[in-house]
Amino acid sequence: MTERLEERDLERTLSDIGGRLDGPKRDLWPAVRARIAERRAQPWWSRLSFDRRTLAPIVATLAIILVAAFVLTPDLAARAAQVLGLPGVQIYRVPQTPTTRPTAAALTFAGQRVATAAEAGLIAGFTVRTPASLGDPSAIYVETAPVRVTIVYASVKGIPVSPQAGVSALVVEVKGTLETQVMAKAIGPGTTLDAVPLGDGVAYYLAGQPHQFFFRDSEGKTQPETLRLAGNTLLWTDGGVTYRLEAQVGLGEAVRIASSLR
Amino acid sequence: MEGRPAEDAVLVERAQHGDTEAYGELVRRYQALATRTAYVITGRPAEAEDAAQDGFTKAYFALGRFRTGAPFRPWLLRIVANEAKNRRKAAGRRATVDLSVAEDRPSGDTALSPEEAALASERRTFVLGALGRLRQEDRLVIAYRYFMQLSEAEMALALGCARGTVKSRLSRALARLREIAGGEATTGD
Repeated sequence: MTERLEERDLERTLSDIGGRLDGPKRDLWPAVRARIAERRAQPWWSRLSFDRRTLAPIVATLAIILVAAFVLTPDLAARAAQVLGLPGVQIYRVPQTPTTRPTAAALTFAGQRVATAAEAGLIAGFTVRTPASLGDPSAIYVETAPVRVTIVYASVKGIPVSPQAGVSALVVEVKGTLETQVMAKAIGPGTTLDAVPLGDGVAYYLAGQPHQFFFRDSEGKTQPETLRLAGNTLLWTDGGVTYRLEAQVGLGEAVRIASSLR
Repeated sequence: MEGRPAEDAVLVERAQHGDTEAYGELVRRYQALATRTAYVITGRPAEAEDAAQDGFTKAYFALGRFRTGAPFRPWLLRIVANEAKNRRKAAGRRATVDLSVAEDRPSGDTALSPEEAALASERRTFVLGALGRLRQEDRLVIAYRYFMQLSEAEMALALGCARGTVKSRLSRALARLREIAGGEATTGD
């Protein structure tokens, strides 16, 4: 080749080369399926590739050590919220959780009932998303002081009605800040708190013994009428909104529901 | 082409809900494309196949983060390309790759005369040599366009850049290819 390739010849030659590039001669799926099964058998943290998401469980572990080591003072709680990355949520470790709080039958929802998530978003001032895997919500409530959206799923196939909430699933969405704690949780020794990767961040999964849960008002004061026991709960934040999913499902299913937010 | 994105979306959704066989269909559908992508980066067929398998495995566990409605193909290729790049980086190998395996494959150009076929073969050898000396990023953008016929939008997603910069990146890569080929042309014969 003593001449420079013309642009057209170059492009034609490149396409020619592309046509000659072979794919694998065998079906790769059996090998891929085996690798998937192998990775499933490993603990979740070893499935992570070495990118920025790898840092999430490390940060989460440090956060949990912080939460578990202290009965949090308000100042420490705020710092914990910062570390946890869950604005609007405060988590206390308590020596014991009472078991006589009102349950399903007494549970009512406050705020204005709206028909759609879009309508809720207009009132709340942020985009309200719902987990697609739970289907259509039974009801949506919006409160404005502080802003809080509660999405109710009365009955979802495969998810038992929670003895604490009286419904299959509840999703609460708040646009909290580190200064204004909108909801709080008091977890006893029988409640486990695990960190799991979710999207680019971390979610926190509370399971085991029901924990205490209550909302705060716009001045940060406890709203005693909202104090109740709560079952398995996943907490995470995305796009400045903190989400709380309460449903009697395992960790994997909770993450799957959270991942289906639309 | 029109039906494919919707079908991919259905398979992805089924896979997200735990249907691994639906994911198997996606693997079979894109295994050739994924392996070619990895091969363009590694230059080694066996390593490319291994990187493609790992890419598919990683993509499976990342399905929860896959945005509904997004095209699956470029998303997958990006994961596979990263996997291949990481392998190459970890191996600490030289910058050039040998893509000569593409030279040995038959193609459908039976209409060419013996002289034309000989010239085409010479051009392939010449361009392959230049491609092998190209930077990885340049080789990949050329491969997405000419070897895999990705659209500009798909290239942008697969390369992780804005759609508006795809053209300029491709143009620069082709210019560098011509530059290397030009250098070879003057010293080659």
